[in-house]
Amino acid sequence: MIRDELLGVGERIVKRGLEKGFDEVAVRADYYDAVMVKFANSEPSVVQSWREREVGVYVSKNGRILGTSGSVESLGDVEAILDKLSGVADKIPESMLYAPLPEPSEISFMDNLVDDRVLGVVKDPSDVSELIVEAVQRRPIDYFAGMFEAAYTARALVTSKGARLFEDGTYIKSYIRAFAGEGSGQWSLGSRRLDKKKIEDMAETAARYAVEARSPVEVEPGVYDIVLSPMVAGNLFNYVTRMASALSVLMGMSIFASKKPGDKVASEKLTIIDDPRNPELPNSWSFDDEGVETYSKPIIERGVFKTLLHNSKTAAKMGGKTTGNAGLLSPHPWNMSIPAGDRDLEELIGDVKNGFLVTNNWYTRLQNYVEGTFSTITRDAILIIRNGEITGSAKKFRIADTFPRILGNIEALGKNLYDIYWWEVELPSRLPYVLVRDVHTSKHTG
Amino acid sequence: MTWEMEDLVFHAVKKGEELGVEYVEARYHKRGTKTIITRNGGVLGLQSSFDEGIAVRVLVDGALGFSSTEILTREGVEDAVRRAVDNARRHSSLMKEPIRFSEERLGRASYTAAQRKGFDEVSDEDKVSYLAEIWSKVSGAVREARVAALMAMLSESFEEKVLVTSDGAYVRSLVPRLSLGYNVVVTIPSKGTIQRWFSHSASGGYELLDEWGVHDYLPRDVETYEKILLEARKPPTDKPVDVVVGSEIVGLVVHESCGHPSEADRILGREAAQAGKSFIKPDMRGYRIGSEHATVIDDPTIPGSNGFYLYDEEGVPARPRYLYKEGVINEFLHNRWTAAVFGTKSNAAARANGFRGEPIVRMANTYFKPGDMSFEELIEDVKLGVYMKSYMEWNIDDERWSQRYGGLEAYLIENGELKGLVKNPVLEVTTKKFYSSVDAVDGNLRFYAGTCGKGEPMQGVPVWFGGPDVRLRNIMLRVIA
Repeated sequence: MIRDELLGVGERIVKRGLEKGFDEVAVRADYYDAVMVKFANSEPSVVQSWREREVGVYVSKNGRILGTSGSVESLGDVEAILDKLSGVADKIPESMLYAPLPEPSEISFMDNLVDDRVLGVVKDPSDVSELIVEAVQRRPIDYFAGMFEAAYTARALVTSKGARLFEDGTYIKSYIRAFAGEGSGQWSLGSRRLDKKKIEDMAETAARYAVEARSPVEVEPGVYDIVLSPMVAGNLFNYVTRMASALSVLMGMSIFASKKPGDKVASEKLTIIDDPRNPELPNSWSFDDEGVETYSKPIIERGVFKTLLHNSKTAAKMGGKTTGNAGLLSPHPWNMSIPAGDRDLEELIGDVKNGFLVTNNWYTRLQNYVEGTFSTITRDAILIIRNGEITGSAKKFRIADTFPRILGNIEALGKNLYDIYWWEVELPSRLPYVLVRDVHTSKHTG
Repeated sequence: MTWEMEDLVFHAVKKGEELGVEYVEARYHKRGTKTIITRNGGVLGLQSSFDEGIAVRVLVDGALGFSSTEILTREGVEDAVRRAVDNARRHSSLMKEPIRFSEERLGRASYTAAQRKGFDEVSDEDKVSYLAEIWSKVSGAVREARVAALMAMLSESFEEKVLVTSDGAYVRSLVPRLSLGYNVVVTIPSKGTIQRWFSHSASGGYELLDEWGVHDYLPRDVETYEKILLEARKPPTDKPVDVVVGSEIVGLVVHESCGHPSEADRILGREAAQAGKSFIKPDMRGYRIGSEHATVIDDPTIPGSNGFYLYDEEGVPARPRYLYKEGVINEFLHNRWTAAVFGTKSNAAARANGFRGEPIVRMANTYFKPGDMSFEELIEDVKLGVYMKSYMEWNIDDERWSQRYGGLEAYLIENGELKGLVKNPVLEVTTKKFYSSVDAVDGNLRFYAGTCGKGEPMQGVPVWFGGPDVRLRNIMLRVIA
């Protein structure tokens, strides 16, 4: 029913757009049915739910690019805006990015993006809430906070080139932060499927790190070897992955602005994949907003820059082919995957003489996107490593370095992979622990 | 907005009452935005969009439920009320402390923020020309450097709401806003790049473009960025110096290290897994955090401001909040839940960024209270120091204690005079160190626009932050290597 409804909306707007004199129309109609339980002080602080249908519209006329979006329930308003835009099109110059929408191609759809267990949780999340409350408190923590979201999403795409596509999926997103003494630990999980064991593991990891960091001490800033947890590496490499969007390059927001495919940009240990075809990660989809089939591809492969992420417009502008990363206006990555290395976490720690295991960070900001100069501040457990062993926990400091230097100094990766998805890792990510040599750190001077 | 929407809001409240809730509020919330995006003077595209729906919040058996719907029919809002009630009820057994709201004198009012030059009074051709002219002025402003990229974005928006609560609030409002943001990259390949992100935003109309004066100042700024690449020296980092912190940075400092830690929901731990907690504990009103020069005010009622409102999303009348007063922690930002916990009254800090968002404690327009000195007086007795005028990189820890600001345009001060540019100085201090080190404040109060993020799902709300230039004594600076 949702399928027919969304496709019907798309067809109606495409028809209306063509009647209004636009050369091309692409319409994405989305349905979102979700519930989110937020926890604070070891109890639910609010239970939120959403059920909505939205539409996004791309139109072009004589090389002008225009767009609109709104609610499916207010289609009359969407159509009224379209009518207005048809008058605007003659008054603005041709877009420097214009290229025709691509012809529809054959799409190979992924199976099993919908998990019935998640659908059940969307209706009633209280069992999962109780599981989290119980699991996180198995260890001697003081209290916890966090959230759990379960969602069903569906998307349809109809274009004036003849694309008529539909796909749906479920996902869960959760993160828990536990507090013990002066310490805290945080962990997250993102998946298209509900696996209660993974939720328990997430809650227990947060609690375990909180307990291990119960009594942190001050440490001096300097240059250290640091094991980045998947939470931290996820945050930092999300930035790098977004910088691979061709629009980021055009806008002066990318370390890849002066690079070309084939250039060495990282340690040969590192591969970063834009991964829309991983059916377990929450943002896996089979087609993009231009109706092009998605495919997983390396952005960086064994340290070598491989792929800028394009839609048909940036590809035409910069030379190349679309990579199936179109949003209605700009290209973007889908999911981020970093393949596993060959070390246990204990081996990564064992390879550090003087450094830290940093388990979480937030507030990453850049002084300069082209040069990749950034700082980020740690939060939650920071475990001190001396001569290959964890000897205690540290109070907060900053990592203040550059992305090119971090990428180049990757020494080794863990062999276990974690699915991370939270506030500071907005792109669903699957990745291991990562050991980086000679990381510059900083701290307040007074 | 049609009266139909108001009927639906009242219907949602009635439905909640029929279901036996302790409290129900419903808010119709519509936002519309039209944005033109350009790169290096060329148009990329024009986007005109809106979102519209009704948000419902209920208190049931001590648990809080929220839902929203864009289905603007009686059935749609009834379904939303039922979902909010059912979810809250299912979780009430997990509540240790039942949630309750403070009793307040609630608003029954309607207001509109003024525009002197409406959005439709400027043609789209003129809007595009305005953006193209920024590029033509900026690209020709440098000699040795090259402006590698200038992204400029002009956005006009409106926000329309009607709020009704089961205990008597009724507030209608309409606030239009104009925004102009840009990202400019200046490069000399042998020397590196300088990057500047900035955005203007305020409630009002196209009269604001004249006030902002981007055509006049941005070419001069770009010239300065070229000079930074060519001439700037390393700042002094080997001994403590005096630092004159420019109003742009002061504004950010008060937002990050006074406004956020003063949010009572954060103090109570409600955001602990997201934006974090606060170094301010519930019993810290009266604690000295800074010198007598440090007074920070948050005021939603400033006409023309980006964070302007007269009643909050719970119907409480807005007023200025004195968060730090003469160096002492004075007042927290409250909504009706935190006010009930603290046994006080709400000061109208509940905001939501659209119909999908629950109202949570937010800032509006936060500023450091200006003094009466001139800028020249501020620097005249500085023997060795640095004036940090603008920034790019910044961050602060999740308890709002350790903060860092990477200077973009910054000058050495020697014997009371500005003596050339310095590159990448970093002010990295604790909150107490910053406010305690302020020994003088000039009278040049300026405001800057931002979108403040908080909540889950993330809600960005428009704010201003501002202040005068302030002088800090004896600060160890760092430098971005």
